[in-house]
Amino acid sequence: MKDLKHLYYFEKLLEESYNDLCRKGQEDGNIAIGHVCFQIPEPLLNLPGCFSTRLRAPRTGSIEMGTYYMSSTLCEACRAYLERAIEGGFNFLDCILAPDACAQMNRCVENIEHQNLINKETFFVTYADVPMKSDETALKHYVKQMRIRVLEPLNEHFGIDISDQALRMAVKEQNEISRLISAIGDYRKLECPKITGYEFAVFCLASYVCPKYLIKDKLKETLEELKTREPDPADKYRIRAVMVGSEIDDPEFIKLAEECGALIVADRFCFGSLPGRQEIELTEDEDALTQICRTYLQWGKCPRFFNQEKVMERREYVDYLAKEYQADGLIYEQIKFCDYWGYERAAAFHIMDEEYGYPVLSVDRPYAVRSSGQLRTRIQAFVERVEMKKLAAKKNGRAE
Amino acid sequence: MGKAFGSEPLGKTLYNGKRPRRRREWRGLRDTWYDYTRWLYYLFILGKFMMKPNNFKGFFRYRWMSNYLAVPDFMDRHTEGLRGTALRLAHEGIGLIIIDMTISLTDIFKADPEIGNDTELSKKMVVFDENMMSTLMGGFRNLKWVCYEVPAIYTSSFMCQDGVMHYVDKTQEYGVPGDVCPMPAAELGAALEDDLPKIGVCAIQCNTTCDGSLMGGGLMARSMGIPTFQLASPIRHRQESVQDYAADEIYNAIKFIEEQTGEKYDWDYLFENMDRFNQETKEFLEWLEINKSPYPQLLGATLGFYRYGEYMAAGGRSPIFLETSKKITALATKAYQNKEMACKEYRHRAILWGVQAAYYTAFPNWLMNCWGIVPINDMLCCVSTEMVSTTDKRQALLDLGYLYENMIMRSRSNGGYETGVEDLFRICEQMNVDMVIMYVHIGCKSMAGYHGLFEEEARKRGIHWIWVSHNLMVPLDGTRRDMRTEVNRYMRTILKEEPVDPSLEDFDDSLCW
Repeated sequence: MKDLKHLYYFEKLLEESYNDLCRKGQEDGNIAIGHVCFQIPEPLLNLPGCFSTRLRAPRTGSIEMGTYYMSSTLCEACRAYLERAIEGGFNFLDCILAPDACAQMNRCVENIEHQNLINKETFFVTYADVPMKSDETALKHYVKQMRIRVLEPLNEHFGIDISDQALRMAVKEQNEISRLISAIGDYRKLECPKITGYEFAVFCLASYVCPKYLIKDKLKETLEELKTREPDPADKYRIRAVMVGSEIDDPEFIKLAEECGALIVADRFCFGSLPGRQEIELTEDEDALTQICRTYLQWGKCPRFFNQEKVMERREYVDYLAKEYQADGLIYEQIKFCDYWGYERAAAFHIMDEEYGYPVLSVDRPYAVRSSGQLRTRIQAFVERVEMKKLAAKKNGRAE
Repeated sequence: MGKAFGSEPLGKTLYNGKRPRRRREWRGLRDTWYDYTRWLYYLFILGKFMMKPNNFKGFFRYRWMSNYLAVPDFMDRHTEGLRGTALRLAHEGIGLIIIDMTISLTDIFKADPEIGNDTELSKKMVVFDENMMSTLMGGFRNLKWVCYEVPAIYTSSFMCQDGVMHYVDKTQEYGVPGDVCPMPAAELGAALEDDLPKIGVCAIQCNTTCDGSLMGGGLMARSMGIPTFQLASPIRHRQESVQDYAADEIYNAIKFIEEQTGEKYDWDYLFENMDRFNQETKEFLEWLEINKSPYPQLLGATLGFYRYGEYMAAGGRSPIFLETSKKITALATKAYQNKEMACKEYRHRAILWGVQAAYYTAFPNWLMNCWGIVPINDMLCCVSTEMVSTTDKRQALLDLGYLYENMIMRSRSNGGYETGVEDLFRICEQMNVDMVIMYVHIGCKSMAGYHGLFEEEARKRGIHWIWVSHNLMVPLDGTRRDMRTEVNRYMRTILKEEPVDPSLEDFDDSLCW
């Protein structure tokens, strides 16, 4: 396919944590909020006068200091973020509003705070207790936590307007971005997708790390461009797969999978669009904060939700995505040392295969995957397995 | 050889590189006689246990039961080197845990459909998660709290060092990575192997210690075949704002049990039990006061085991725990007044922080006997000492919520820097210690995340900091000998000290139970 006009621009943006748009956002007088987990609803961090940027550590090399402070058996992403903070890569942040969602990310943020790594005088960190279930009791708690750990500190420290009206404005802006991202992503459902998983991941990721109002125009143009884009022939990629798992904040991993012949048609991972880039529907009969929190509780597909309804829902959702995006197989991935996904991935490997009938590849991976020959081999083998299965099914169909 | 501490070189006289010990320890006539009669008593208890047909069948049905053959050795390990009051405290405290365990196992096997098949009993049983407090069951007069993961996995691993490795292997074969905590991994392995009894009318699971524990529980729920309720206790438990949610979740769990069993929550019964629980807490506070003095009494494994049994499992429902606690207080107070020691020399006062190795729970005894390092307090004992209301229902729910937030291990692994790091140094000051033995549990992500901060803070305060690596239930990843070597190196190279008992500095116990 012909290169998308703005792809290179977005790729360049993703090469830095403190990218040009974050700079521009601050020059426009906005507060930069460090964001580390899906569990803090984005609209709360993108109220008028502030924008969120999700922490990541692009072009990570050595993570020795991060490893010293957090030991070698912790998630490499968390260690890489800490390393980046030690290097001064997050000095532009005005605050980090973190949930205590997984112990490892929490330790990363606590290290950033207690080592005083961010040198702005006004910098602060809060930790919200976010629920692990999705019922009404949990919602009440969630709303309370978001109010006192996110909204009120923003108001107290920076005078940010946290009124219901401001929240609705933030939702409106996010919905606009979500509509664009979803519309772009829908082109992956086609038999001959007009956009690759990698390209989509670049656009989607940018929407998590840049001020939203600054990327809107380019996303609109990209959507227009896609309408007339000539797709690659259907056989360019050997299989279609859903990528499921923990954080992927580097689209290179998607690229690696696609280079091996597995077109990633759906992104069910942290930093992905499914869920996260759907519209938040607000009504007038209830306050916006409660509705936003309810939406995020419903969206939440992190394995930390441990009530059985949520456990089942996660599998059903992947099944739905595989059908909707006509996937031939599932790739469950996790960054090494993630306890949540370690168990979820192992269980899914059996359950999604035995009970739902999908071929599943289950891999753990380092944070930086660019040069991983091992991963390449695993994915290639998976592609061959699924391809053989498809051929066998075709043959059987013909024989019948 | 005699009644004085350190009168014989334990490394040479007890260990011979084989599974059984070379011989029993000689502690002088009086102490040896006491110890031997207690040892016979445990054998009698075990014999009596095995005489019951259900228990006999259970022994052959479940692989993990074979670990309990090592109970007498387990007691020997945890009384190693002890004399006088210290010996008696160990037998009083740890001995009760053993007796309590046999009662619990008897009930489990009686209800087990494959053994006793007492369906009526099974219908009265509510299954609780591992590492989860039983306290809320204090309001159900006619129901039985049961936690089969404790005898199957948790204490199994205490008894026999490689006792649950088979289950960890099974979980890894299933596809769970080898870097997760071995405890939930072993429990899941036992479930995958169909090696857990199918009992109970319903189950309560909880986000107890860590992310791995929570996930293991989620998968186990599939194999339980009974309705399960997930009790979500807040993580940031020092924040005032989370306490209402903690209480609400306790209330939801109670409602769930009521719905599943048809039983009504009896608040008077709860208050009665909580009154006992509060009294037990007061006794515990007495022990800590004594331990702050130059003559600490309830140390290491004795303190740890007893507190676990009393705080987590008994939860105020069993009068015998309060009686024993009072007896322990009386013994400890007298010993303190008499300035009795618990080992030959007190060179360093230490806090044990992090999670202890389940396969080497006698490590604190070794610290005392070999190097004179006195384990004054243990992270697992640093739990809530708040009283539970015995008059007000809402306040009782809030207090129970707080207790559940502060379950053993969870109280430190959750809650953030304040509970994991800051509190440690506050406790160091309170308990007047000069050393921290920091367990590095390889699969525990919670404490590992503070690695650098711990070192920096210890350096600032001039506290000796010794890292001791282990993998909780997988001794192959860090053997008992490896653990000792880490202490030996520090003591020799940094502190330039000579051991109190040189025979214990290096010996082979890789084949021991």
